Amino acid sequence: MTGGRVGADWTSGPRVAPGEGGLAGLVRHDLRILRTYLSLGVLNLVQYRSDFVLSVVNAVITLATQVLGLSVIFSRTTDLAGWGVYDLLVLIGVHFLIGGVLGLVVRPSMEAMMEGIRLGTFDFTLVKPADSQLLASVQVVRPQALVDVLVGLGVVVFGVTRVQASLSVVDVVLSLLTLLCGLVVVYSFILALSTMAFWFVRLDNVLVIFQSLFGEAGRWPVTIFPGWLRIVLTFAVPVAFAVTVPSEALTGRLSLTSALSAAGLALLFFAASRWFWFFALRRYTGASA
Amino acid sequence: MSAITVDRLHKTYLVPEREGGLRAAVGALVRRRRREVHAVTDVGFTIEPGEVVGFLGPNGAGKTTTLKMLSGLLHPTSGTASVLGHVPWERDRRYLGQMALIMGQRNQLQWDIPVLDSYRLNQAVFRIPDADFKARVAELSELLALEELLRKPVRNLSLGERMKCEIAGSLLHAPQVLFLDEPTIGLDVAMQRRIRSFVAEYNRRTGACVMLTSHYMADVEALCRRVIVIHHGRLLFDGALEELVHRFAGDKTINVELADEHPLDPATLGALVDGRAVERSATGFSVRVPKAETPRVAARLLAGLPVSDLVIEEPPIESVIEQVFEATSVEVDGG
Amino acid sequence: MADVATRPAAPPDFSKVSLGALRRYYVGEFAASAANNLAYRGAVAIWVVTTVIQPMVSIVVWRTVAGPGGEVSGFNASEFVTYFAVTMLVEHLTFIWLMWEFEWRIRTGAMSPLLLRPIHPIHKDVCENLSYKLIGLVGVLPAMVLLVIGFGGDVSGIGVVQVLTFLPALVLAMAVRFLLEWVLALSAFWVTKTSALNNLYFALFLFLSGSFAPLAVLPEAVRTLAYVSPFPWIVSFPVELALGRRTGAEVWVGYLAQVGWVLVALVLLRVVWRRAVRVYSAVGS
Repeated sequence: MTGGRVGADWTSGPRVAPGEGGLAGLVRHDLRILRTYLSLGVLNLVQYRSDFVLSVVNAVITLATQVLGLSVIFSRTTDLAGWGVYDLLVLIGVHFLIGGVLGLVVRPSMEAMMEGIRLGTFDFTLVKPADSQLLASVQVVRPQALVDVLVGLGVVVFGVTRVQASLSVVDVVLSLLTLLCGLVVVYSFILALSTMAFWFVRLDNVLVIFQSLFGEAGRWPVTIFPGWLRIVLTFAVPVAFAVTVPSEALTGRLSLTSALSAAGLALLFFAASRWFWFFALRRYTGASA
Repeated sequence: MSAITVDRLHKTYLVPEREGGLRAAVGALVRRRRREVHAVTDVGFTIEPGEVVGFLGPNGAGKTTTLKMLSGLLHPTSGTASVLGHVPWERDRRYLGQMALIMGQRNQLQWDIPVLDSYRLNQAVFRIPDADFKARVAELSELLALEELLRKPVRNLSLGERMKCEIAGSLLHAPQVLFLDEPTIGLDVAMQRRIRSFVAEYNRRTGACVMLTSHYMADVEALCRRVIVIHHGRLLFDGALEELVHRFAGDKTINVELADEHPLDPATLGALVDGRAVERSATGFSVRVPKAETPRVAARLLAGLPVSDLVIEEPPIESVIEQVFEATSVEVDGG
Repeated sequence: MADVATRPAAPPDFSKVSLGALRRYYVGEFAASAANNLAYRGAVAIWVVTTVIQPMVSIVVWRTVAGPGGEVSGFNASEFVTYFAVTMLVEHLTFIWLMWEFEWRIRTGAMSPLLLRPIHPIHKDVCENLSYKLIGLVGVLPAMVLLVIGFGGDVSGIGVVQVLTFLPALVLAMAVRFLLEWVLALSAFWVTKTSALNNLYFALFLFLSGSFAPLAVLPEAVRTLAYVSPFPWIVSFPVELALGRRTGAEVWVGYLAQVGWVLVALVLLRVVWRRAVRVYSAVGS
């Protein structure tokens, strides 16, 4: 520990102070954080090798259960509110896909955040010079959920080739767009739910409600639900936009109105959840007191 | 300009109250009682750049609340503070980028990934240029002997190793202000010493200003010339460590070594020390005496016994602090 | 007699089952876990909400399959509603979560203190389970009524006789499922990650117990398979009793099958538990 040695440069803080460089600088910073977290998560796949095998087994069991369920139902009927068996298979694929993306980063990060609020480690997130919502949303990556994403993609491709409707380029673009919107809507919703942990510390299983709704109700086209329930599943707990609307796009039954409202709703949900996030932070730090 | 300026800081919490048991649990369904807790009351101080200040007080004195306000995690109920020219709770990223908060009981490194990967996340968050990042990791791992640890997942590290990695990770962005909340808690003595000397070295190399809370007085004695003491949320003392001892220690200890196997008669000894409790050792004894009477008692002992050595000591810092808190809690509770 | 008081009391003989002591333990443990569940009533409420979702979706799906005025294997739309509403009640009362908890208990070492007490750990789980069930009923019973009213369920088949035959079947179903799944949870002593095993079990349970659809709706082969498993006696049998779909000799055969499975599960429990403890102490965690 001799001081004479030339060591690292400890005098300078960040060369560009975070917060400077305007909006473009902020976005660049955010993207860099996002990239670092995601790439590290995937690089650390090896840490979870046994979990990875397990999640393959689990995905196969879940898929088999759902296909078996479909076959039982379609042994008694030929269509479910206008959806044929392969249409529903596409929907199951989309459900897997969205669920996989949520399980990859959104849910584990939100669980970690709620745990952090309970244990006090969330403070470390707040003292970092970056967007707190971004940090909280990407802090944990669970790469084994990629299995669900891949299974979902496979099932979607298989289902789409069996569905009679032919997909145009426009349909594909619309499908991708609605998928993205669906993800944004669901992410915003989960964020808002988790944010409530600032008020109710023992809230870790509020996500369970969503998970259960998403897992059970999300596997079916929202059109089979009676009126009030359909409204709940579309706007209050937006499972419909996450799964049904992209599936409609993929099976060639999407109306332009639905596509536009999906985009509008995604923006609305995102803005609202972000507002709520900062509102909760102000309360957490006692700014409103 | 001072690094930290705090003026009339005040924080009040509302906490719900409930008693144990089934009946109380059912009762709480109906009505909730809340109580106001004054965690910090009218605290003010100033800290200069490069200073290392010990922040002392018993559990629940308001130390952590104050540190949380200074690191921008909590808004005060009233009062002002300025750290490096920023109001901490505005949470300006330029401030957060120059500050570090290290809590001994809490982890921020990710559990499942190697330490170095957690550092890379910090690099992205704090926008640390690659060259600086490499140089600082190298230097910190030399100072703290981290070389072997950086590639292991955090879950495989021991408590002490984890703390070293935590500290290094929190310093990669070369913070100008450090808040250390019990950084050595639960660590063994060697590891405590290592972390202590590291903090001193970091302070020396970077001129960063450090605020430290610790239950281990050895930490405070080794690192802090100045201490700030709070109790029941109020500032009790702000000044040099020796001054604290001088002001609050009412007693001194006289250690006496006797020349030969002198048959020490309890009655004689009792008379010499005015009947005070005496702690016998193999070759002598020690006795605690009020400061003012120390010269008189020492003179009497020297005259009355075959003394080979006599030392007058200040009491250990722990017992002084203990006295401070005891005295003031009586005062506060009584009033 | 004075010296009796000064002599140290003989330690209780833990090798014998003392029903009095067990009763006192149950009263204390039940009160404690009830207080705990009340303190975390938010969490309990959330679990209750999730209990409602699956039957609600099943109702919607099968109502759609049956269609207005139509029928599937002897169930019309409003009979499906009642079937799944009662299934929800049975699911709530029989469900246990210990298969997930055991993995956690063993990984974190929380199992050790339970093994150190001079009482079988299953009793604590029974108390916690029962207290949760009872508190959850506050939400589940109204939810059941709401499902029936909201979706227009057919309750014409439910009378006093049906309820009276349903209740013993329900209690037996709780016993069968608790014991079986507690034994299954013990797999965590051998396997560090039990999620795949649990999922496989629940996939089987879903179809074979009648939670996914009434057994009559399933293909013949699946139904045959179901009746050699314990699962129909956990959900399908009590639910069909409540709906008045099983009468006469069928009722007694059902009770008998339930009692039989309880005995099988008890034997399994005894054998597997002994081995599990041996494995645990060998690893020394």
